[in-house]
Amino acid sequence: MMPFFSVENLTKKFGGLIANNNISMDVEQGEIRGVIGPNGAGKTTFFNLVSGFYRPTSGKVSFKGNTISGLPTNKIARLGAVRTFQRAALFSDFTVLENVSIAQHLKTNSSLLNAIFGHDNHREVDSLERAEEIIEFLGIERDRDTMAANLSHGLQRQLGVAMALATEPELLMLDEPVAGMNSGEKAIMVGMIQKIRDKWGVTVLLVEHDMRTVMNLCEKITVLDFGQKLAEGSPDDIRSNPEVVEAYLGADDSVT
Amino acid sequence: MGVDTIVQTFANALVLGSIYAMVAVGLAIAFGVMQMANFAHGELFMAGSYVVFALYTLVGIPFLIAVILAFPIVAAIGMVFERSIFRPTRGNVLAGFMATAGAGFILQVLVGQQWGVGLMRTIQTPYPGSTEILGAAISYQRLLIFPATVVMVGGLWYFLTRVKQGKALRACAQDPEAAVLQGIGLNKMTGLAMLLSGGFAGVGGALMAPIIPVTPYMGHTYAVTAFIIVIVGGMASIEGAVIAAFILGFIHTIVSTMYDSVTATMVGVFFMALVLILKPTGLMGRVKV
Amino acid sequence: MSKFNPSTHLLVGSLVVIVFFILAPNLVSAYRLELLTIFLINVILAQSYRLMATTGDWTLCHYILMGVGAYATGILAKMAGLPFYVVMPMACIVTAFVSLLFAIPLSRTLGFAFFIASFAMGEFVRHVWLKFHYPFGGARGINGIPKHEIGQGGEWYFINFWDSRNFYYFALVFTILTLVILFRIDRSRLGNAWKSIYTDRELSESIGIDVSKSRVIVFCVSGFFAGLAGSLLAYQIGSIDPQNFGMVEMVYLIIWCVVGGVKTYWGPLIGVLSMSVVFELTRPLAEWRPALFGLILILFLVLLPGGLETLPTRIREMLNKTSKQREAG
Repeated sequence: MMPFFSVENLTKKFGGLIANNNISMDVEQGEIRGVIGPNGAGKTTFFNLVSGFYRPTSGKVSFKGNTISGLPTNKIARLGAVRTFQRAALFSDFTVLENVSIAQHLKTNSSLLNAIFGHDNHREVDSLERAEEIIEFLGIERDRDTMAANLSHGLQRQLGVAMALATEPELLMLDEPVAGMNSGEKAIMVGMIQKIRDKWGVTVLLVEHDMRTVMNLCEKITVLDFGQKLAEGSPDDIRSNPEVVEAYLGADDSVT
Repeated sequence: MGVDTIVQTFANALVLGSIYAMVAVGLAIAFGVMQMANFAHGELFMAGSYVVFALYTLVGIPFLIAVILAFPIVAAIGMVFERSIFRPTRGNVLAGFMATAGAGFILQVLVGQQWGVGLMRTIQTPYPGSTEILGAAISYQRLLIFPATVVMVGGLWYFLTRVKQGKALRACAQDPEAAVLQGIGLNKMTGLAMLLSGGFAGVGGALMAPIIPVTPYMGHTYAVTAFIIVIVGGMASIEGAVIAAFILGFIHTIVSTMYDSVTATMVGVFFMALVLILKPTGLMGRVKV
Repeated sequence: MSKFNPSTHLLVGSLVVIVFFILAPNLVSAYRLELLTIFLINVILAQSYRLMATTGDWTLCHYILMGVGAYATGILAKMAGLPFYVVMPMACIVTAFVSLLFAIPLSRTLGFAFFIASFAMGEFVRHVWLKFHYPFGGARGINGIPKHEIGQGGEWYFINFWDSRNFYYFALVFTILTLVILFRIDRSRLGNAWKSIYTDRELSESIGIDVSKSRVIVFCVSGFFAGLAGSLLAYQIGSIDPQNFGMVEMVYLIIWCVVGGVKTYWGPLIGVLSMSVVFELTRPLAEWRPALFGLILILFLVLLPGGLETLPTRIREMLNKTSKQREAG
C-alpha cells in the first residue's frame, strides 16, 4: 500500500556540510508523528525540505503518491500538505477572523471575474461559517475581531494553526509548535493538536525541541542526530533507547 | 575601417569609460554602505560641471583648481543628502531613492534659476588643440581624463585599504552590525560615503564640463548609465563598478559609432535588465540588491 | 469582507463629489474642463498604480505603460483609421500584453532590484519609440489623432467628441467604471489575497497563494487600466510626444501615491486631487514648481511616509502623546 507521506533517502548538502544524510521514514494517515533531536541534529533542515522551502540534494519526499520535494510551497499546500511557522506569521492589518478567511483562499472562489462581478452567495456564507468554526475549535473566538498584530504571542501561534487548518489540509506540518511557550500554553497546544487529529482526521507531522511535549503527544517518534536518523519508534521505545539517551547526554533536556 | 577610426574609437571609449568609472564608483560606495541609492547622482555630476562654469568661466580661477575645488563642494552637497534624506529613511531603500528624486528636481531648478535653463553653457577648454595618435585627433582636454581618473581611483583604493577611515568604511559596508560593535560610528560612515560619492561625481562633471553641453538636465543620462554600471558590476563592489564602467564605455562607444546613441542606450538598458533578472548580485557583487 | 458597509458620511461625501463632477461642464470654463479631463485620466492612472503598490510592487515603468496605450491608440486611430470602440479595447489589451512581457522577468526580482529593473524595461520601450520613425514617429511622435464621433451627424444619437464637454463625460464614464471595478477587486477575496502577499510573502505561499503568478496577474490588470488612461489621453490631446513620458512624469505619479498613501483605497485619489490643486495654484511660480514638488516628495517620505491617508491616525497619536505627557508632567 502506498504510504501517506514518505521520505526516501533524503539528503541535503550546503557546500561541504551535510545537513541531512540519507533520511528515510514513512508516516501513516492519521498519525501524530514527532521528529526530534538534539541541537544541530538537522531538524530545521529536515522541516524545510519536507515543506518545500529547500530543494533536496538527493532523495525525495512523497505525499499521497505525488513527489513534493522540489515543488514550491504553494503547490505543496494545494496538494493538501500545509506548514506552520515558528515565528509569528500573520497578516497584521487584518482581524483574526479575516486572517482565517484569507487562509481559505484555496477552498473558495478567488478568481478575478468573481472579484469583479461576484456577489455574496451561499458559498461565501458557508466559508464564513467554516472560518468561525475553526476559530471556535481553537478557542480564540473571543478575539475574532482583534487585529492580528495585537494578539499575545501564544494566541498568535494558535492563529497560525487556525490559518493552516483553514486550507483544509490532510497533512499538517508544525514547526516547533510549542517553542517559547510556558507550560500552560504548551498544554493548550498539545490538546489542540490532539483535537485536530481526532476530530478533523488531519495527520500531523511536527518537528520539536521539547522532549516532554513530544513524548506526551506523539504516537511515533523519529530521532535525528548529526543529520541522520538515529532511532524510530513509540515514546517508550525511544525513552529506553540507549543511543538516544547518549545523544542527549549533556544537553539541557532530560529524556523522560 | 581605418586604423585612425579604431584609435579614435578606442580613445573615445577610454574617456567615456573613465567618466563612467568616476560616476559609478561614487554610486557603488554609497550603496555599499547602508544601501543609499541616490536618484540625484546625475545632478551631483551636473553640479560639478557648474562649479567649473562658475569658478573657471565666470570668476577666472584656473581650470585645474576649479576641478579640484569641485570635489569638496559637491561632496558637501552629498553630505547634505545623507543628513537630510538618507539618515531619516535608513532601512527603506525605495523611500530614500524617491526622496533623492525630489532633491534632484531642487538642484535642477536652483541651478537653472541661477544660470539659465535653455541655453547650453559652453565652457572654453583651457587646453585647446589636439594631438595626433596614429592618425586620430585627440584633444588635449580629453587626454587629461584617463590619467585623472587613474589618479582618483588609485587614491580611493589607497584610502580604502591603507587609511583607517577607509578601512572602517569597508568594514561597515561588509557588516554594519559588526562595525558598530567595534565602535565605528554608523552616521560618520554614511556621511563619509556620501562625501566620497558626491566628490567623485563632482570631479567627473568638472572634467567633462568643457567637452559636453552643460545644462541643468545634463546629469540624467550619466546617472542612468551609472546605475546600469553599478548593477552590472555588483551593487556594492567598487572593483566591479570600475571594470563594468570601462566595459560599458566601450560597448556604448562602439554601438554609437556603428549605429547611434539611442541604440547604444537601448543596449545598455537591456543589459541591465538582463543582469537584474538573471544574476541580481551583479557580475561581481555579493550584496543582493 | 466582500460586503462594503459605508458610513453615511462617506456616502454623502461621495455623492457630493459625483454631483460636482457631473455638473462640472456648467461650472467651469472650457480650459478648466480640459484640465479636469486630464485630472480624471490621472485618477485612473494613480488608482491602477495602487493595485501593484498594495502587493508591494512599486514600479518605475507605469507612466510608460500609459504611453503604450497612448501609442497604440494613436497608431490604430490615425493610421488604421479604426473607430474608438475597436481602438480603445485593443489599446488596453496591448498594454496588458506588454505588461505581461515586463512582468514575467520582473517577477523574478523584488524590492529595489524590481524597481530598477522596471525602470530599465520602461526606458527600453521609450527608446524604441524614439528610434523607430515608423510607426512611432520617432522623436516627433504622433500628431493629428482623430477624435471620434458616434453617427454621421443629423441622427438623434449623434455625439461629437471633438466637443470638450462630450469628451469630458466620456472620460468620466470610464473613470467611474475603473474606480468601481478596482474597488470591487480591492474588497474581494482575491484583493485580500494580493494584499497578504505584501504583508507576509512566505505565509501567503504556505496557504496556497502562488505569489509569482499573482504578481504577474496584478501587473497585467494594472497595465490594462494604464492603457485605458493612455488611450483617453491620446484622444484628449490628439498627439503623442515621447518627451512627455519621461522620468519627471513618472516621479509625479509617485508623488501622488506617496502624498495620498496607498494603503486605503482613497489614498491615491487624495494624492492626485491635492497635488493637482497645488499644481494649478502654483502656476505663477512656473520654473520653481519642480523644486516645490521635489520638496513635497522629500518632506512626505521623511516625515509622513504613509501619506495623507494616515494623517488622522498620526494626529490622534500625537494628541494622545501630548495629553499623556501633560498628565505625567
